[in-house]
Amino acid sequence: MIQLKNIEKVYRTTTIETVALNKVNLSVEKGEFVSIMGPSGCGKSTLLNIIGLLDEPSKGQVEIDGKQTNGLSDAQLASFRNQTLGFIFQSFHLINDLPVLDNVELPLLYRNVSSAERRRLASEALEKVGLSNRMKHYPNQLSGGQKQRVAIARAIVGQPEIILADEPTGNLDSNMGNEIMDILLTLNQRDNATIVMVTHDENMAKRTHRLIRLFDGSQVS
Amino acid sequence: MIKHLFKIIWKRRKSNSLMMTEIFFSFLILFAVCSLGVYNFQNYLTPAGLETNNVWVAFINFNTSSDTAKMEYKELVSQQLKRYREVESFSYTSANAPFTFSTMSNSFAYNKKKASSDVITVEPDFPKAMSMNITQGRWFTKADIAGNFVPVVITKHLAKELFETEDAVGKVFGGGEESAGSKKMKVVGMVDYYKHKSDFQELDNTLFRPSEKWDDTMVLKVRAGSGAEEEAKIVRELARLGKDWTIEIQQMDEMKSNRNNLVLVPVLILLIICGFLVFNVALGMFGVLFQTINRRKQEIGVRRAMGATKGAILWHFIGETAVIATFGLILGLFFAVQFPLLNVFDVEASVYLFGMLLAVIGIYILVGICAFYPSRQASVLQPAVVLHEE
Repeated sequence: MIQLKNIEKVYRTTTIETVALNKVNLSVEKGEFVSIMGPSGCGKSTLLNIIGLLDEPSKGQVEIDGKQTNGLSDAQLASFRNQTLGFIFQSFHLINDLPVLDNVELPLLYRNVSSAERRRLASEALEKVGLSNRMKHYPNQLSGGQKQRVAIARAIVGQPEIILADEPTGNLDSNMGNEIMDILLTLNQRDNATIVMVTHDENMAKRTHRLIRLFDGSQVS
Repeated sequence: MIKHLFKIIWKRRKSNSLMMTEIFFSFLILFAVCSLGVYNFQNYLTPAGLETNNVWVAFINFNTSSDTAKMEYKELVSQQLKRYREVESFSYTSANAPFTFSTMSNSFAYNKKKASSDVITVEPDFPKAMSMNITQGRWFTKADIAGNFVPVVITKHLAKELFETEDAVGKVFGGGEESAGSKKMKVVGMVDYYKHKSDFQELDNTLFRPSEKWDDTMVLKVRAGSGAEEEAKIVRELARLGKDWTIEIQQMDEMKSNRNNLVLVPVLILLIICGFLVFNVALGMFGVLFQTINRRKQEIGVRRAMGATKGAILWHFIGETAVIATFGLILGLFFAVQFPLLNVFDVEASVYLFGMLLAVIGIYILVGICAFYPSRQASVLQPAVVLHEE
């Protein structure tokens, strides 16, 4: 499902060259739930951004769902993200000016989906995360756990094959964190979603199929 | 997508109200300037009905209070002028010759219809000197003057006001209340156009009647190429005819240009003020948009992650600004539309409608320019970077 070959990412300024990722090779099968761990600054989020096509590797190849992504145009990459990938962020990144339902509809806004269909799909996604009673609320009226559930609903509303979660429980207490983890596991088991999750929490990582450790930009296990 | 934009704008209505107010006031200013511009331009395009090229205006002061002496002097001047090869035709007129700063008006009545009009007294050669075209009837002659009625030529505008759709030529009418008892007037001819104040003047009422004995202003049509030398010679030789006379000649082209400047200068000043205000509004809008986009970087990152292309982000922010501008414009249009509805300043509705159209186009161009650069900056933000900014 996801193939990374010799991925390197180097940030360059006029004076400094920082290697964020060094020859990372990674293969994730369809339906797999993989977690990535490592100390701060080891390149976890960079790796996730590269998998999510939000950033380009300096070297190496990224293949998702059998398709080479190197050299794709902006429109092709956007379409790829929209159709194939779902994102969950540590800081939720909900749009505070939009009600929950509209936040969840967001990925569908960039597809040719009718308003009624968007509404239906977003309601279904919110039902899956147990927030159908909060559709008209605004993000600032929700708790952290609820916000993350909205973010999950937004990630799954377009039925992407891959969900990328960047420390989804990082801003939540352990109870809330477990709830979110349960939802992700359900999505993986019930819907066969491929999930790549960056986490700092060993306990959460243990609940996934496979753990990948990064250290100073290199894959150590 | 439009609904989506409306929701965001509505939720941010407080912060958007500033921009909306700016657009509202900018629109009103632009509307005023555009309406004034359209009004003047429309008038400029209307034919003048007279030629000012190679026309001189002579202001003669005979320095006598005797009408008989004045008549003699005037005849003397006429005889002298006929001797000059350079002078093709000439006519005495009242002091309000075209493009002078004098005015003379009176009110006239026909079948209970009243109209106020400029009045100019001229000689039969006036249309020749001014290259005027008579569209109906003819100009009055010396023979007409001896008749029972005062022969007059009127402008089409006055004819319409007094006689509406009826044929004006041959109509007999009187002066207003103050001139009761005086000789009635008979229309012998009509001219379509007569712009005697400036090129930007609206067509109005003018009545030409035979010259009076005290008229000592004169219009002279001279040969092309006659210049200062000929002018000085004529002044010098006319002045020799009477010892106390003072004679001054001005070129009608220059007089017209002076009168045009009286219209153009205020418009130009208004344009500069308007330009300055609009420039400030544009700067303000530019700043507000930059700040807005700066505050919404993470939202931009999320949208990009969810599948928005760079173009979608660009058009999203331009669209948002356009919707806000539309709200400001709707409010502005509500006030602007009162001008034609209430017939403010007695100006044709089309002038206001054109003014509105130009102002709306102007505002959208302004908004488009102001929104484009910040929106473009937003579209090229790296999602991976902005999503991790605190």
